[in-house]
Amino acid sequence: MKELFNTILMIAIALLLGGVITRVRSVLSGRRGPSIVQHLHNVALLARKGSVYSPTTSILFRVAPAVYMGSALLALLFIPIGNLDPLLSFRGDVVVFAYLLGLGRLSLVLAAMDTGSSFEGMGASREALYGALVEPALFAVVATLAMVCGYTSFADIFSVARDLDMQMTIVMVLLAYVLVKVYTVEQGRVPVDDPRTHLELTMIHEVMVLDYSGIDMAMIHCANWFKGAALAVLAANAVMLPLCFKWWTVAPLSLLVAVIVGVVESSQARGKLVRNTTYILTVSALAALLLFVAYLLTLNIQIS
Amino acid sequence: MPIIYLILLILPAVLIFAAPLRAKVWTAVGIVGAVAVAVCVAAIGVLVEGTPLTLWQGASVAFGVEAITMDRLSALFSIIISLAAVATTIYSRGYLAHYLDKKPATHFSLHYTSLVVLYVSMIGVVTAVGGFCFLFCWEMMTIASFLLIIFDADKRKTVRAALSYLVMMHIGFAALLAGFALLYARTGEATFAALSGYMSAYAPLPLFALFVVGFGMKAGMFPMHSWLPEAHPAAPSHVSSIMSGVMIKTGIYGIIRVAFALPVEFAGSAVMMPAGAIVLALGIVTGLWGIILAALQNDIKRLLAYSSMENIGIILIGVGAALIGKSNGNDTLALCGMAGALLHTINHSFFKSMLFFGAGNIYAQTHSTSCDTFGGLAKSMPVTAILFLLATVAICALPPLNGFVSEFTIYFGLLDGISGGSEVLSSACGLIGLALIGGLAVLTFSKLFGTVFLGAPRTHEVVEASEADTFSLGACAIPAAGILVVGLCPVPVFRLVAKVAAPFVPMSERGLEWFNAHSMSEAMQGVMLTAWLLVAIVVALYLLKRRAQRDRSVRMGATWGCGFTQPTPRMQYTGESFSEGLQSIASSLTKDTGKGEAVDKNEIFPSVHEFEVKHRDKVSRLMNEWWTALLAQINRRVMRLRTGNISRYVSYALLFMLIVAVLSILNLI
Repeated sequence: MKELFNTILMIAIALLLGGVITRVRSVLSGRRGPSIVQHLHNVALLARKGSVYSPTTSILFRVAPAVYMGSALLALLFIPIGNLDPLLSFRGDVVVFAYLLGLGRLSLVLAAMDTGSSFEGMGASREALYGALVEPALFAVVATLAMVCGYTSFADIFSVARDLDMQMTIVMVLLAYVLVKVYTVEQGRVPVDDPRTHLELTMIHEVMVLDYSGIDMAMIHCANWFKGAALAVLAANAVMLPLCFKWWTVAPLSLLVAVIVGVVESSQARGKLVRNTTYILTVSALAALLLFVAYLLTLNIQIS
Repeated sequence: MPIIYLILLILPAVLIFAAPLRAKVWTAVGIVGAVAVAVCVAAIGVLVEGTPLTLWQGASVAFGVEAITMDRLSALFSIIISLAAVATTIYSRGYLAHYLDKKPATHFSLHYTSLVVLYVSMIGVVTAVGGFCFLFCWEMMTIASFLLIIFDADKRKTVRAALSYLVMMHIGFAALLAGFALLYARTGEATFAALSGYMSAYAPLPLFALFVVGFGMKAGMFPMHSWLPEAHPAAPSHVSSIMSGVMIKTGIYGIIRVAFALPVEFAGSAVMMPAGAIVLALGIVTGLWGIILAALQNDIKRLLAYSSMENIGIILIGVGAALIGKSNGNDTLALCGMAGALLHTINHSFFKSMLFFGAGNIYAQTHSTSCDTFGGLAKSMPVTAILFLLATVAICALPPLNGFVSEFTIYFGLLDGISGGSEVLSSACGLIGLALIGGLAVLTFSKLFGTVFLGAPRTHEVVEASEADTFSLGACAIPAAGILVVGLCPVPVFRLVAKVAAPFVPMSERGLEWFNAHSMSEAMQGVMLTAWLLVAIVVALYLLKRRAQRDRSVRMGATWGCGFTQPTPRMQYTGESFSEGLQSIASSLTKDTGKGEAVDKNEIFPSVHEFEVKHRDKVSRLMNEWWTALLAQINRRVMRLRTGNISRYVSYALLFMLIVAVLSILNLI
């Protein structure tokens, strides 16, 4: 029962995150903004529409959204919210989670190459590169959590509140910070990419899916939300782990990730594209540094 | 004893040379198949029962005891080699059919004889207990593969690549010979079994280093990999497939044999731990170097060759982790590292064979291996495309296929090392390295598959290409079955591999049974569940989508050209541009050479330009150029003696006689 509730809550968070980001951005720019569920209406509309396929594409182009959504959905099932149990869990599932995201990425990149458009190829090549460079960050974060908690599955790592000292709590908050960065990279948000436009500013994710329409596009949007929710909940879990570790503290906190992303997007412009690799490598390096610091802390070496 | 070797060599040769031209391939298939069946039956027996099987024992020629013995590790490698050899021989039927009218029959006889000899000698390498027998098979393997590479000897590039291969293999052979000679001199025996005796009596690390150089040369370990990206593109595809799929693994086999003979401590200082750290570091560097260079290549076979290097790196990470785990008494890390390395060896032999077969199909149809000349091949060669995609997903180590199972096993061990808190730093290095390699593999292979099979055709050869023949496709059935079986039913396969790995990493307290029952088995079942769930969800989503689309309009419309009304296939993203982002951060690893003339910015209506960029590996350039420079220098010095002046030569002869006379007077000779 708890598992089912976890999954439902997870999907609810996934569906809400996008709306929160839009709302925060609207409020900060002095507008009322659309309803918080407007994006759901948009996707429902897409799902009712017909599709257009390019004659250049092969069957792969039509299967890719199903693979993308399937892998994101399956990845979502591994993440617990606070002290709830996820639907799927076994030792080492952190690796499965990361590689499921990788499968989704490969399917979309290949679909983009399938259209034969130079613009989509451009997006695909960037997505593949940034995805590869951010992978070490995700693994370093997970490794740190595994080391601190002594477990290798999300369900065991985030099972009960841990009694951590002040320094380790700071490490946890920083881990959440890295996860938010991973979120911005994976979701293609400011400063890595600006998802609001087509063509002029948006250079990565949205570019790859230019040729999708109708229900395919709806599936891709859903998969994106699932991916984002998984990372946001992970970040919230990490912060709450040494504090009040309950599902009703983690769930609202994961929405705060959306607020942070919204604030960043209203206050910052997209970074120059050539700087992105440096930016992402810095995130990965920071994650590796956190792993090292956490290791020193577990050894009880005083860092003054 | 040598008589047996000679019979082994001459019998297939006679049969193949005697067979009529078109029957030669079937003679080879017959011989390889017969040997493979016999070897597999023996190997399965050994794997099930666990007792080593001595097939032959004989008097020695040199280096002490000689025997052909099959233990579990040998049995595992024998099966991999046999499967790959059968697939390769069947595949060669289709691939070489185009050459039948162009080349004399003796070339084919020689080629097929070499193929059979290569197979038999590889089996010899993994079953010999060491010493002369091992070195003989090793050398036969090198020569046979050399003969296979130079099948296309009309091309100058092929001969050069083959010669460079031969030279490098013999440098490695010299190291092995020195290693075995040292072993023999000190223990009176030159078998792998004698290694542990030697290593607990004398300083083990120098001998270990000698063997790592010798075996690493064959495996394509950094920085001795420079023959790999040259030899594979030069060789026919089925030869690259067997060389890359299994032959380089004999290097891994050797490293495993030697590394696990190391004592944990020698004379009070740790030995296995530093050795493990060295292997782990070599693995990370080899893997990263391989995958980054692979991502920058624009030639299919060159890219695949570098990716073999990457996979050797992954296997070495597993072996290194196992050594570190064993030295610290961490069972899970040791067993998972070793089992993961062995499993990845099996998996790589499947998907790499398949990728090279795919590359061969493409080459046979279009006579090109340059990524940027293709595009849209999936339409003209659909079966090849599907098989290639299967291997692509597998080599990127993505679920639900086999590559994921082996990488998961290694990750599992490393994560256990981290969460257990005993080997955090080394495990974390391996983990982060493996993660980066995995991410870059997705980049590399999406580039390869995307530019070759997807999009619109860039040249008319691609449009005219047709599907490969039945034999070429049928040969892929063996690796394809392997990929699917290991990917979708990982539990029994893992149990089998863990059984092979267990003797190398003695479980300190709780036996293998406990291990299987508790930690890993559960995780493997989880992986299996995930794989099936993934397949089910994806199929369900796709069918749902199809159903939903039934009552909506589905139209065809050209790819959106971003407002540009006349897009051409030539405007597609090329392989070079796909990896440009990576190139910008990895430019210090390569030396880039551009050939041709780039379009001038001031040209308003650009004329036709040809421009070719090549990314040359800086390390292999350094190695090759350093050697050639040295040889050229020695040559120049020696050439000074050759003046062409006849009186000089007479004086050399006189000088020589004088030296001989003096030496004999002094009783020195």
